[in-house]
Amino acid sequence: MLDAKIPEGPLEKKWRNYQMKAQLINPANKKKLNVIVVGSGLAGAGAAATLAELGYDVKCFCYQDSARRAHSVAAQGGINAAKNYQHDGDSVWRMFYDTLKGGDFRSREANVYRLAELSAPLIDHYVQQGVPFAREYGGVLVNRSFGGVQVQRTFYARGQTGQQLLLAAYSQLYKMKRAKKVEMFPRHEMMDIVVIDGKAKGIIARDLVTGQLKRFAADAVVLATGGYSRVFRLSTLAIGCNGSAIWKAHRRGAYFAAPSFTQIHPTALPQTSEAQSKLTLMSESLRNDGRIWVPKKKDDDRKANAIPEEERDYYLERRYPSFGNLAPRDIASRAAKERIDAGFGTGRLKNAVYLDFKHAIERFGMDTIKDRYGNLFKMYKKITGVDAYQEPMQISPAAHFSMGGLWVDYELMTTISGLYAIGECNFSDHGANRLGANSLLQASIDGYFVLPNTINNYLAGALKEDHPTIEHPEFEKVEKEVAAQINKILSIKGDKTVDHFHRELGKVMWQECAMSRNKKGLEKAIAQIQETKNAFWNEVNVTGANQEMNTELEKALRLADFFELALLMCTDALQREESCGAHFREEYQTSEGEALRNDDTFCYVSAWEYDHGGFRLHRETLTFENVQPTVRSYK
Amino acid sequence: MKVTFKIWRQDNAASKGDFVSYEVDRLTEDMSFLEALDYLNELLVARNEKVIAYEYDCREGICGQCGVFINGRAHGPHDHMTTCQLHMRSFADGQTIVVEPWRATAFPVIKDLVVDRSAFDNIIEQGAYISAKTGTAPEANAILVGKEVADKAMDAAACIGCGACVATCKNSSAALFTAAKINHLNSLPQGKQEASKRVLEMTRQMELEGFGSCTFTGACEVECPEGISILNIAEMNARRAKAKWFD
Amino acid sequence: MFFRKSIIALTGLFLCLFLIVHLSANSILLLPEETARELYNSYSTTLRESPIIKIVAYVLYLSILLHIVYALLITLNNRRAKSKRYTLNQYRENSSWTSQNMGLLGIMILLFIVVHLANFWARIKLGMGEGVGLDANGHVDVYEVTYSLFQNIYYVLFYTLLMAPLGLHLYHGLKSAFMTLGFYHKKGLRIIAKLSLIYAVIMAVGFGIIPFIVFFK
Repeated sequence: MLDAKIPEGPLEKKWRNYQMKAQLINPANKKKLNVIVVGSGLAGAGAAATLAELGYDVKCFCYQDSARRAHSVAAQGGINAAKNYQHDGDSVWRMFYDTLKGGDFRSREANVYRLAELSAPLIDHYVQQGVPFAREYGGVLVNRSFGGVQVQRTFYARGQTGQQLLLAAYSQLYKMKRAKKVEMFPRHEMMDIVVIDGKAKGIIARDLVTGQLKRFAADAVVLATGGYSRVFRLSTLAIGCNGSAIWKAHRRGAYFAAPSFTQIHPTALPQTSEAQSKLTLMSESLRNDGRIWVPKKKDDDRKANAIPEEERDYYLERRYPSFGNLAPRDIASRAAKERIDAGFGTGRLKNAVYLDFKHAIERFGMDTIKDRYGNLFKMYKKITGVDAYQEPMQISPAAHFSMGGLWVDYELMTTISGLYAIGECNFSDHGANRLGANSLLQASIDGYFVLPNTINNYLAGALKEDHPTIEHPEFEKVEKEVAAQINKILSIKGDKTVDHFHRELGKVMWQECAMSRNKKGLEKAIAQIQETKNAFWNEVNVTGANQEMNTELEKALRLADFFELALLMCTDALQREESCGAHFREEYQTSEGEALRNDDTFCYVSAWEYDHGGFRLHRETLTFENVQPTVRSYK
Repeated sequence: MKVTFKIWRQDNAASKGDFVSYEVDRLTEDMSFLEALDYLNELLVARNEKVIAYEYDCREGICGQCGVFINGRAHGPHDHMTTCQLHMRSFADGQTIVVEPWRATAFPVIKDLVVDRSAFDNIIEQGAYISAKTGTAPEANAILVGKEVADKAMDAAACIGCGACVATCKNSSAALFTAAKINHLNSLPQGKQEASKRVLEMTRQMELEGFGSCTFTGACEVECPEGISILNIAEMNARRAKAKWFD
Repeated sequence: MFFRKSIIALTGLFLCLFLIVHLSANSILLLPEETARELYNSYSTTLRESPIIKIVAYVLYLSILLHIVYALLITLNNRRAKSKRYTLNQYRENSSWTSQNMGLLGIMILLFIVVHLANFWARIKLGMGEGVGLDANGHVDVYEVTYSLFQNIYYVLFYTLLMAPLGLHLYHGLKSAFMTLGFYHKKGLRIIAKLSLIYAVIMAVGFGIIPFIVFFK
């Protein structure tokens, strides 16, 4: 039985109770402790900077050329906080409930409540750090609404919220670098984790410029490595995003929770060709004013503007009258897929739906719309060559956020002692579906507020132990394993490219393990992935050498882990015989095509243990003491 | 469509480097420029050759990692655009496309089209932050910031740190990059406390990194994906002069 | 670099002021011959004898010198910052030719100044070359020096054509000087840019047309 170490007391006092009882370390002793943070996004940079401020010696790693590139930059829309500045009935409780319900009651009450509770001080923090949030003329902060919520609690900085928050975190990180409390390792990729006597004591990293493998020892290791939706190949993620760090941790003993819970974002740009490398995300905030529709007639070849009002099917407004275009992401995506599959899709490949601003422009005027979304319209024009002020955008669902990730307890520690997972790479707060503008929030809360308060509890113990050194035989052993894997991939010298195999994997995953899943398809997918994986290990060709910058090798190593992760995702999706949030099993739906949750049998978090190539299921039962799980309705 | 890529190949920082031409057929207009390079790399793998190294990450114009000189322009032929947002429809069938890495002494080439931009991080390190620890913040609305001020700060803060300004500048000046950051923070009330220190230390670091000085050609603001105005540089000059002589 | 740039801007602005005075004086040359000769010569005599102007003249020499020296230092530094140039650079698509070639324009102007000083300053002040006579009022006949010089079509062409680089240099230099010195008011700068253009055109055309008029007098 997994123990999430939820503190005692009523929901609203749990975090305070935890903090009161957690062990502290005096400042003089903190200096003696080292922490490794892998990843420099909001979670990683926030944690690294804050831990350094507290006095720990921190090493921070990222595969990009600078910490500022981490994929947190790409979040456009905003960050939620229960400030109730709009006086519209918001509260910590309501935010907690919205998030829990948005996640279809597959997350922990205590974690979600803490997320909502800390959201307000987080906005205070970012404002103090100089984030240029949108303001009213009078100088106070502005809010807007987001999917799945009926209050306005989203703070934003034009269409660049993620970028602005990350810049704040990154500069705070560099402030601590200047103070010599943080050592930065950009262009370094974590290759494996070193576990000594059941405790995480360091990592092996590859210098992406020279190819050199390096050992780093620490008293605790924090993974903040983001999501793994690149397993679908086509996703809204950065090309470099990968699941390798958490996969390596998983193989060394960290349980992987809810791996198949993947959010498919409803407003990305549709795929246009086989060679496409990514699907660009258009902020969900567009759904505030844009109306989504498809033609009522199948295979309607007319141009969008030529289709009269009465021949348009505003299907979200039709199916979900109370939330309309602001229905949560999983629901909006599935509804789009339903229309597209039924033959009402638009565009050359019939794989898109319209997002129309005509009415908004008529109502608010061109200037207001330009002010709100100008940069998004500009971006749309750059990519598609189409002016969305004149004709509707075409959007399509795309793989986006990984709700699943390493299982962590209330302290954000994985099942390996001293190994923490924060931000998107853990499974904690979002359940089976994440609400818009909650991702920047969770990453930041984990990094700035939670981890710096919980890590002491473990490190206080580490203080009494011998500090690890890289001379330990375990480092040598792990480094050799890493080197062996690299050499193996380089020596295959087959006749197919890494991208070829990634496309194959992506197709299977998108077909069988994305917006809707079924038993037969998942079983087929597992067999296919196994086959593709074997083919990869026999037929891939990676040119160049190890001892140099080799982007092809980087891709191959990441893909090798994606195969195994994909197998686990399908295994998980197959095992969970219910529909909840983004996990939609076709066998389990209502007569109206809505998700049919099964709380009697599946009210638990699936945590998978790696077991010699197979996976063993552990269950963390979810108990709801404060809310009653209801049927999630947005009608 | 078919194009000829003339691409700078350089094994590592120490080697000399030269252009190599590649004819690539069966591209489509919908492909992005980087996807065309991806495709070329797959062809190279099939020929058992080393792939071309170039940078990218988000591929939606926000992370700032991509950036090469394409046909004589930073980020290609359009104004205000990143390399990853450039599509093949911007080129003619049969065209030759010359691709070079950013050229600046402060941005040494690492390999092929990849350069080292850590000089930017070094400038940031010298003061592009508010010196306040996590957990010390006052209530957010206690700090009022008028819309005009917030908008202006946001205009400057929009910089994605791609380095196109340095790349296109005949003097490899990092003035636009540095100015944008300084003006973002120094125009907000939160940034006022250490405004003078910030502008002096960041501009000093900018010079130490080996960037040239600004002669206002204006090329940077045209190539900047975020369209950050060159007026920021003038404003930085004013802030610096004030800090130097009057504070 | 900021100090050097400011010096270039300040000396540049001073030289711009000087050019206004210079051009107003030169416009005397447009008057009918008798009046022009008398006025021009008495004006130049006044200048030479005024102690204030003497100081101003030294400031002027110093300005030119500093402007050149610092421009040279800045340029060398800028070249170091761009140790390798692009094989293909379409800079005309993102900036003006002028802004990219201020150094070249500056060298052309320097060439002009050298010749110009040799023609006038060296003869009149240093007494080098052919001696200069006196006019009816006993003033040094600078007018004659000017007049005879511009009887030579090659000099006329040289003096006229080199006003083009001067105009371009002034246009970019003037508005940039304001920005270098920290003037960043958006609308104000738009006005300054327009004024710079007007100023540059007046200077280039004004200085450029006088030799021709004198030639045809």
